[in-house]
Amino acid sequence: MATEIQKILIIGGGPTEIGHETELDAACVQIIQALKKYGIRSLLIDNNPFSAALEDVQPANMFIQAVTADNVQRIIEKEHPDAILATVGGVTAISVIQELQENGVLADNEVQTLGIPADAMMDINNPDRLNDVMRNVGMPVIASETVGTLDEAINVANKIGYPVIVKPIAPRIDTNRMLCETEADMISAVSRGLSWSRFKQCVIEQSIVGYKEIELVSMRDTMGTQVLVAGLENIDPIGIHSGDSMVVTPTLTLSNAEYEALRDTAFAINNQFRFTGVVHTHFALRADGESFYVTKVTPYNDRGTSLAATATGYPIAYVAASLYLNQKLTDVHLPDIYHFKQTALLEPSLDHVVVRIPLWPFEDVTNADQHLGTVMKSVGSTIGVGRSAEEAILKALRSSQFSPQDELPSMSNLTDTQIISQLIHPLSNRILVLLEALRRGYQVDELNELTKIDPFYFVKFKHILDIEEDIRMHPMTIDALHEGRYYGFGDGMIARMWQTDIDQVRQLGRNNQISPTYKGIEPSAGELQDLPTAYYSTFELENESEQLSDKTILVLGRGGNQLGPNASADYFTTEMLKQLRKSGYQTVIMNTNPNAGSLTATLSDKQIIDPVQLGDIMNVIGIEHPVKIFVPGNRHYLTRELRRRDYSISILPPDQEKRSELLNDHANIGLDLFVAEDHIVPILASDLRSDQGIATTLDQITLMRTPATLTDQQLDKILAHAKEYLGAHKRTGMVQMLYTTNGKQAPQFAGVRPTRLTTIAYLNKVTGINWVRMLVRQALGELDEDLIAKWAVDIYSDRRSQVRGTFPFKQLQLPDQLGLTTQEVGARISFETF
Amino acid sequence: MAQRFLILEDGSIYPGQGFGAGATTTGEIVFNTSMLGYQEIVTNQIYHNQIIVFSQPIVGSIGIAHDAYESILPTAKGMVVRDVTDISKNRQRSLSLDQFLKQHNIPGISGIDTRHLIRQINQTGTIKGSIVDVADDHAFDQLHATVLTNQQVAQVATPRPYPNPNQGYNVVVIDFGLKHGILRQLSKRDCNVTVLPWDASAQDVINLDPDGVLLSTGPGSPLDLPESVLDMIRTIQERIPLFAIGLGHELFALANGSEITKLKLSHQGANHPIRKIITNEIIYAMESEEYVVDPDTINRDRLITTYLDLIDGSIQGLRHRDYPAFSVQFFPDGAPGPNDSVDIFDEFIEIMGTRE
Repeated sequence: MATEIQKILIIGGGPTEIGHETELDAACVQIIQALKKYGIRSLLIDNNPFSAALEDVQPANMFIQAVTADNVQRIIEKEHPDAILATVGGVTAISVIQELQENGVLADNEVQTLGIPADAMMDINNPDRLNDVMRNVGMPVIASETVGTLDEAINVANKIGYPVIVKPIAPRIDTNRMLCETEADMISAVSRGLSWSRFKQCVIEQSIVGYKEIELVSMRDTMGTQVLVAGLENIDPIGIHSGDSMVVTPTLTLSNAEYEALRDTAFAINNQFRFTGVVHTHFALRADGESFYVTKVTPYNDRGTSLAATATGYPIAYVAASLYLNQKLTDVHLPDIYHFKQTALLEPSLDHVVVRIPLWPFEDVTNADQHLGTVMKSVGSTIGVGRSAEEAILKALRSSQFSPQDELPSMSNLTDTQIISQLIHPLSNRILVLLEALRRGYQVDELNELTKIDPFYFVKFKHILDIEEDIRMHPMTIDALHEGRYYGFGDGMIARMWQTDIDQVRQLGRNNQISPTYKGIEPSAGELQDLPTAYYSTFELENESEQLSDKTILVLGRGGNQLGPNASADYFTTEMLKQLRKSGYQTVIMNTNPNAGSLTATLSDKQIIDPVQLGDIMNVIGIEHPVKIFVPGNRHYLTRELRRRDYSISILPPDQEKRSELLNDHANIGLDLFVAEDHIVPILASDLRSDQGIATTLDQITLMRTPATLTDQQLDKILAHAKEYLGAHKRTGMVQMLYTTNGKQAPQFAGVRPTRLTTIAYLNKVTGINWVRMLVRQALGELDEDLIAKWAVDIYSDRRSQVRGTFPFKQLQLPDQLGLTTQEVGARISFETF
Repeated sequence: MAQRFLILEDGSIYPGQGFGAGATTTGEIVFNTSMLGYQEIVTNQIYHNQIIVFSQPIVGSIGIAHDAYESILPTAKGMVVRDVTDISKNRQRSLSLDQFLKQHNIPGISGIDTRHLIRQINQTGTIKGSIVDVADDHAFDQLHATVLTNQQVAQVATPRPYPNPNQGYNVVVIDFGLKHGILRQLSKRDCNVTVLPWDASAQDVINLDPDGVLLSTGPGSPLDLPESVLDMIRTIQERIPLFAIGLGHELFALANGSEITKLKLSHQGANHPIRKIITNEIIYAMESEEYVVDPDTINRDRLITTYLDLIDGSIQGLRHRDYPAFSVQFFPDGAPGPNDSVDIFDEFIEIMGTRE
């Protein structure tokens, strides 16, 4: 059967939004890599301008279109793929495939679905059907009923008893359970749920709020062989969406018997549905471990599978691709760089702890309700890897803060009433409040009672506070420095506690051989000797990471996604890594986003998963001695501090520090150009608009459309102006010249600014030239006349295209509002009619 | 916690913090890469004479539980860990790992770079070590001078028979240092169990008229047990269905003419894929192998290989060609480790059922 498949249509994830970020595209990149090895042609539909996967398929196989059933159907009818893959497209892709199954398009065109059998596809996005199937095979599921009207809902809820949970069936957006304490809550939830459901139906079920939430990630081949890749433990209990929970792997508070029972159940479900590839199974476990329920089954890539892959070093998406082609797990050959290259069957065993902390958009969307609940609100996440829970928690926490200076905000101004209220109704600063409560003397048992968080974590939080106190009390002492570093405190934090400079702290460390030791992130817990490419630091005896080469470039990743240019920054970083390698450099990437495509092991020579903070960066520099450090986007504090220490830094796109020169605070025409020494190359002229029409300020410009509404004369005029201006005002790299015009009037110059990362991604897709790579080559001094002469850009092209920012307002339950550039969660690109 | 040291025969010294008992202890250093089940591991009698290095980053996080004992009186020589958390979760809130180890005079040492230690043992092979208060010449002299007993089975196995009554098949378990998981599995299947001491004779067994005989797990080398044990096995396998696990498996192989080799490095963990040869099925199970059957010495007229470890190629299961007798090297009862192969106990029940 495998040999019959020659062409696969992959459904991409679409624009980043709350519910999924770069993990889908990262998985897609790995899958395309694997399929290529098997000689399979991959077609890809996606309208995410920040998709790195789109860079990996030939233009003829690329369908930059919205992921809708109609569009997918058209591609199927035109291209006749042998199979269709929905496992890197999130819930949207699953819904699309369901629809094409129901209306017979897949059968008529003889397209097989990969990974998820047709009948299972109908069940997994419908909690009610899922529960029925599982109840029939004796799997533990909770009491629930389906309703289609408010009256039915009220009856069912009265029968089950409050609190109840409401879940829409086959939702169009990634939503989860809505917890309702009262009938009024329930009516509001059911009304919303019915409108989100493709079938206008909701499930009402018994509440399991307060249970422990555990997730298992497993692989299954068509023979039924299964591997358990990882167990993920939500530190927050059920009641907080798992995407908004702190998560730890491996599980730290489960007994062997509990864990193995979950494993048996997950495997039985996988067999029941005959899933192939990766499956993410969610469980709710009663605190006493006496009983558990299966709450969700997602047989596709998502944030859970992505965390499992990053934490264990197991290339889940790559292996899954082989399994879709009927390869057996026993026969899958992994790329050489993988530690356990002999087999994909080694079940990862970890000797480190990984903690994931979500990142919320409330800094940029200030009018949203910041309470955490059953509807996901986070837009990204960041991980900490350590040899102890304390170290992993602290590293994750350090990476999750907005301040670039490696510090944790103080919660000491909260009143006791506020603390209690926030313990019961947590906000996004939850972990800081938990720490503050312990600081004020709350006992572990009380906190466990109020929060339903396992006492183990409070013991660990308490230990962190004890160490902090110890560090504070013993300024500039060797023992305190060692203890602090050993448990994950950053040099910046220690310096602040000692009211000194970070260099003093580092000097103390150097003088006393308190040096970082890097440990491999690999699945054999040290049993097998080969070393992997991914590392994290700790302060122990053995260092496993040696200098790569004398021609290494260190790339500083963006860390976890927040709003603004973050999703595009990861795309930018990925393309940067590809070019640096092509230019003959060894590459080291530092990043903490488990969903980042830029952390894919095959893209760089070494991946360091540590906070992208000054002290940690200098630790990496101390080993790698890079010839240059590349910084995608701007990081004012870090680049300033690194430059101050004489490191060679390249910020891309360049000229970020050169302030935008603005004559006007609004503009409606943009002209993007590439400036290289004597060459000023116009790339694209476009209309600049807000999401709802005219942008009255620059930060409202979240939509670009080409061709610009300019006459040829007007265009010539601004081209001439831009060249003249840039000839006189020295700029490097990519800039956007801004103009205002109202109709026939000559465009007025409004200013110039560095081209935004989001815009560069768009320009890549529109021109077919990878401008990120050009910027890298420019920074490396590789940009020559010949290369520039090859850029075939038709500034007069009348090809229509548009990129438009997307915003998280709907998921945050905010009324439609005018989105700002700082509030973009993703973007969609289109070459169709608008 | 006081500073203590783990010292190894090769002269290396690992400083750490003591927990559990404050005793000075010497044993063979072995490591276990299981991610869960520290209690099951430390109470398993196979670790008699051994100091266990845990690759799992944290132990102690769920305390000591009544249903996770693999023996009531553990005889491991020590625990070496990166981190220990002092938590008690039993109903009395009265028993943490630290307290448990104190009660049983087992020392532990934490704050060790266990990853480095494991990578180092990988190079040196099995090595002796001590947990001591002071890492001086005296401590090393003591370490070098210590001769570990080879009478491990006699020390951990029950000296007297005892029953575990039930309504089902009448099973005799020969105790070489049995882990309780075996009794739990037989209990679940209603077996009426009598546990006999390791040196029970074939006649002792036959007198109880069992439907089946189970040779248990246990510590140390099968070569250290007297020939009489092998005679007992040879007699029993001809007459009564026989199932052997771990050390029992090694003895079963010896009794049927195979040779046993000591691995340069013992492997303890639950993440190696094991192939069930007859079905090509892949299973995972807790493996604790120090001694393995030498594949070149298997008398193929008598024994069939049934399970193979796909990572290190070791033989993980055997079956007799002529008699209803079979064995596995790994622990099909989990505790800790996956339950993937727990149906081997059902196979045993089935074989007992088809007899006559």
